[in-house]
Amino acid sequence: MDDKSRRDFLRGGWKLGGALLIGAAGYTGYEALRPLASGAGGAKITVGKTSSFATDTNTYVSAGRMYIVNANDYLFALSQKCPHLGCHVPYCESSGRFECPCHGSIYDLAGEYITGPAPRGMDRYEVTLEGDNVVVDTSVLKAGPARGAKTFLTPPKGPSCIGKA
Amino acid sequence: MVEIDPNKLEPGRTSVDHGLTARIKRSDPWRSAFRHAQIDTPRGRALQSFSNVFLHVYPVKIPKRVLNLRYSLRLGFIAAVLFGILLVTGIYLMFVYTPSVGSAYGDMQNLKTGVGFGQLIRNVHRWSAHLMVLVVALHLVRVFYAGAYKKPREFNWVIGVMLLLITLGFSFTGYLLPWDQLAYWAVTVGTNLVHYVPLVGGRLQDLLIGGPQVGQNTLLRFYALHVAVLPMLLALMLTVHIWRVRKDGFAVERTSVGTFSEAATERPAGAAPAAESMALAAPELYGGRVRLLGVVDRESITEAARPVDDTVFTWPHLLVRHVVVALGTAAVVLGLAVLFSAPLRGLANPNLTPEPAKAPWYFAGLQELLSRFDPLVAGILLPGGAVLVLLLLPYIDRNPDTRASHRKVAIALFSLLLAIAVILTVIGTFFRGPGWQFIAPWTHSYIEF
Repeated sequence: MDDKSRRDFLRGGWKLGGALLIGAAGYTGYEALRPLASGAGGAKITVGKTSSFATDTNTYVSAGRMYIVNANDYLFALSQKCPHLGCHVPYCESSGRFECPCHGSIYDLAGEYITGPAPRGMDRYEVTLEGDNVVVDTSVLKAGPARGAKTFLTPPKGPSCIGKA
Repeated sequence: MVEIDPNKLEPGRTSVDHGLTARIKRSDPWRSAFRHAQIDTPRGRALQSFSNVFLHVYPVKIPKRVLNLRYSLRLGFIAAVLFGILLVTGIYLMFVYTPSVGSAYGDMQNLKTGVGFGQLIRNVHRWSAHLMVLVVALHLVRVFYAGAYKKPREFNWVIGVMLLLITLGFSFTGYLLPWDQLAYWAVTVGTNLVHYVPLVGGRLQDLLIGGPQVGQNTLLRFYALHVAVLPMLLALMLTVHIWRVRKDGFAVERTSVGTFSEAATERPAGAAPAAESMALAAPELYGGRVRLLGVVDRESITEAARPVDDTVFTWPHLLVRHVVVALGTAAVVLGLAVLFSAPLRGLANPNLTPEPAKAPWYFAGLQELLSRFDPLVAGILLPGGAVLVLLLLPYIDRNPDTRASHRKVAIALFSLLLAIAVILTVIGTFFRGPGWQFIAPWTHSYIEF
């Protein structure tokens, strides 16, 4: 091994060592910051009997941070989190719609997009019936229906809570 | 160093002072800490800068025009003063604050009711933070209009933009810490923006908030960023920033490059272009001012031989101005803190969205954009593009001229963008009410600083 190649070897070694160090620091940082799997979320929740969800009503289930809605006798479990920027979307009694006060997105009872800056309808959890029990699987959140979906759209019952027509 | 007896050098004194203070100042321990007395001679003034690590960031002498307030408006210095105030008040706050969902809000209430001057310290911290964002932004605007980002200061501009981003990071992470409704929802909205980054958005948001929603993990990591990571980053980059200001000189001749090119075009036909090529080959060396004596008329030589001593000593001329500006800044912050208290709304409630949920004022323009355009465009592409253009500005704008009349396009474009940003921020801050509906700000204010 002559001088030049040894020099090259050491030069490369420094760079490799530095790169490894940066990689290790980066990975450690990632490990420190990444969310650990927690007990919250992902459980199957029995939210009640089918009879407790009357047609065209909604029920807030705080355990799953979601609404169970019965829209035209179809049951949906809607995540309370606005698909726009994550605000909690409250139900507006006067208009019979979900209306987000943060940026003015409005959804119908089934969580379908009506107006506002949201990219899609409200996200949904899977609902299954086990006998008479309504069970929601909170492990998988499915993206809400696309903006065009108007299956359950009905005219507003009354004035909007956030002052939108 | 030559031993200097301060008393012998002080004008008007005839006898040696035997007072206690004078004796202490003559003692060996004192002399070991302060190597020479403050002597009002040119040499003494220069020594003040030479032998003091803190004054060493200043040049010993500066051009007179730097003393003029209009020269820089002192904005960079004010920003640094505000950072100092934030550091001190922040340390006070750290003694009473626990970054835990269970106790953070209670600590804020305790600060208000149980700690002497606690609310005032918090007010000073908050107002300094708001002002720092404002002043750093104004500093950037001022530097742009002066054309001070041009060669050789391109990279210092880049560092400056990074310092602006760090300042925003400071403010945003600090915003969450009181753990009230204002904090919770502003940060929820802000961090959900990250979700719209293509491909890695979801993972990035997870890393930022450490869970499915803003919670204990978010509070702890924002705290760590706010009190450890960002201060270190800022201190590091501020050091480089100031060091480069110092090394690049406080003031370059505003029109030097322009003058040179004009002179070059007036060169008689057939004259040797050697000077030009020398200057092009090594502009740092020749400063763009090289001329062959043979082709330069007498007037130009006279002009080149400017009076050399258009400078004054930094100590005390600039220093005393800096002290005055620092005191003024502190007075303004204190005044605001006494008059307007930092808000503390109800305890953070993930199930109750306030109407409206507003981001901090410097993100209100972004929120306004978001209510109008697709989040990918308004939340990521437009602000990301703006930051990228700002970072690369010195490399995009290659025009070496710093005179306003010679950079009309750059000034027009920048002014347009600035106007848009200001208008969006004002609309988002003052003209938006519940449901992000348009309201007249004089009917009801939904903004809290």
